[in-house]
Amino acid sequence: MKGAAVRVEHLTKVFPDGTRALDDVSFQVNPGDFMVIIGLSGSGKSTLMRCIYRLIEPTAGKVFVDDIEVTALRPDELRALRRQIGMIFQQFNLVKRSSVLTNVLSGRLGYLPPTWALTNYFPRDLKQRAMENLERVGIPEKAFTRADQLSGGQQQRVGIARALMQEPRLILADEPVASLDPATSHSVLKYIEELNKKDGITVLCALHFLSLARRYGTRLIALKAGRVVFTGYPQDIDEVRFREIYGEEAVEVEIA
Amino acid sequence: MAHETVSRPLPPTIPRPQTRPWTLALLVLGLALVYAYGWKVTQIDIGQLMTNAHLIRPLVRDLIRPDVLSWVPRTQSASAPFSYSAEGAPAPAPPATGPRLLLSTPVAQPGQPLQIRGEGFAPNRPGQLIWTDQSGSSARGSEFRTDAQGRFTLTLPVPQMIGTHHRVTAEITLEGRQLRPSVAAKLVFGRLVETVFLALMGTTLAVIFAVPVSFLGARNLMARSPLGTVVYYVVRTILNIARSLAPLIMATVVAGWGGIGPFAGVLALALHSIASLGKLYSEQIESIDPGPIEAITATGASALQVIRYAVVPQIVPPFIAFTIYRWDINVRMSTVIGMVGGGGVGFLLLQFINLLQWQQAATAVWGITIVVAVMDYLSAVVRERVV
Repeated sequence: MKGAAVRVEHLTKVFPDGTRALDDVSFQVNPGDFMVIIGLSGSGKSTLMRCIYRLIEPTAGKVFVDDIEVTALRPDELRALRRQIGMIFQQFNLVKRSSVLTNVLSGRLGYLPPTWALTNYFPRDLKQRAMENLERVGIPEKAFTRADQLSGGQQQRVGIARALMQEPRLILADEPVASLDPATSHSVLKYIEELNKKDGITVLCALHFLSLARRYGTRLIALKAGRVVFTGYPQDIDEVRFREIYGEEAVEVEIA
Repeated sequence: MAHETVSRPLPPTIPRPQTRPWTLALLVLGLALVYAYGWKVTQIDIGQLMTNAHLIRPLVRDLIRPDVLSWVPRTQSASAPFSYSAEGAPAPAPPATGPRLLLSTPVAQPGQPLQIRGEGFAPNRPGQLIWTDQSGSSARGSEFRTDAQGRFTLTLPVPQMIGTHHRVTAEITLEGRQLRPSVAAKLVFGRLVETVFLALMGTTLAVIFAVPVSFLGARNLMARSPLGTVVYYVVRTILNIARSLAPLIMATVVAGWGGIGPFAGVLALALHSIASLGKLYSEQIESIDPGPIEAITATGASALQVIRYAVVPQIVPPFIAFTIYRWDINVRMSTVIGMVGGGGVGFLLLQFINLLQWQQAATAVWGITIVVAVMDYLSAVVRERVV
């Protein structure tokens, strides 16, 4: 299994209220990349991610994952593709009242017959694998705890374990550490980095802090008001470019 | 409440309009008129509380000595079956020791003589025969007295009773007496059980209808299409109107439909509960977190799986909590509903009061208090655990 390639061509999204969230966005992610997306809040990072697995229907343009044209898939084909794309959210989006184990197992639902859901049935080997994934993110002892009893960092690790259940070839992480403190941010990003380096999963990750982008990203694109204003390597973002992306007033904040 | 008025300084720049003295006087006069009319129309009469104090004295006095236990004579009894026809005639052997009843024949027609011999009873005690027919109703018969050996023999014509398989019992009154639940306590207990189940059935019936209705009354699910929006407003309007009808009024109306008794109470509670649960449920559906729905959808799950793993876990615990709370409310409601013909303990309480049986009424009042308090506590505990 190797990471997926992503190609975005002239992607445009105009919301019903007239907001131009994405404006002719084109870029490419190579297999195995850790691609960081930076940009101000509202610059279109989340919309871009949601267009890639089509939770939001783009207005125009095409998205390819490997050579599959995502924007042309029928609903059942789309579901089959979504199984291979793991999603990690800023607010973790766990089912708070369910156990950690159930949350992790729910990552596998795309592969299971829908009728099994009626009896809440998961095969034994899947439960075994869910436990292995929880061990991988370092919280096997929390398997039977309710998700909302966990700290933010632990919840995000459950989110990673859930994405791992999909055996993804691509992980989309939408500001995965924006709700976490600096130390926890590093520990969560290290797990994502490990998936990228060790398993070869392609990662597309929106981040707020440039220091984190430089530390973890292998490639970087910057969005501003729905347009790509920079494509290249994280190390190439200097003072001038930083002001281009974030505006003249911006001052870079370091995160330890 | 008080702190709101204390520490909120007015913006100094905005001049307050000066209240003129005559405006204030008019306001005071207006309020005085309102309360004067209210006093008159509700016929408040403090003096009556004093003069009529003797009328409620028995109730208050008996409230502290409810009719719960009563002394009954200790008894000793034995019985034997007999039948009008030989078909399937029961003839179990009487016990070898202790009090036992022996019949000359297990099969006898009405009017034929039947010899009843009793052995092993207490000596020299008065007793009475009790005839129990096939339907279970019984009648007291001949009196007798045991001899020095604890025996007696009676020869009687078989009485005419309903059915074919009957039972005769001899009951001997012993010396001394024992404490047993009083008749009123037994009645109240039975009706309290009926009340709790009346509330349970009413709540269950309401849940069955309220769950589907709540989905139709949830804005986030329905307001996606014009038709859905219309359904949403229609459902919400009906729920609001239905909720404004108090269960007591509902029971009075429904008593004609379901007949006077517990069933009418069940219907009244159910109708009111559908409305209130429907509203609570749909508000719960409206407030679910869309995040997990997105997350589960993103894993490639189907619509059924998304509902099962993202929607249901979010709504089931609050649904259970609301339902138990509703049951708790309905137990309280059903004690009152009984008074207008809805069955349950309320009807019994009303009868005791009408018959001026204050001690028995006190038993009912205490019974209601205990059951309601226990339900209240249990529902709080369960809700705490579920949510």
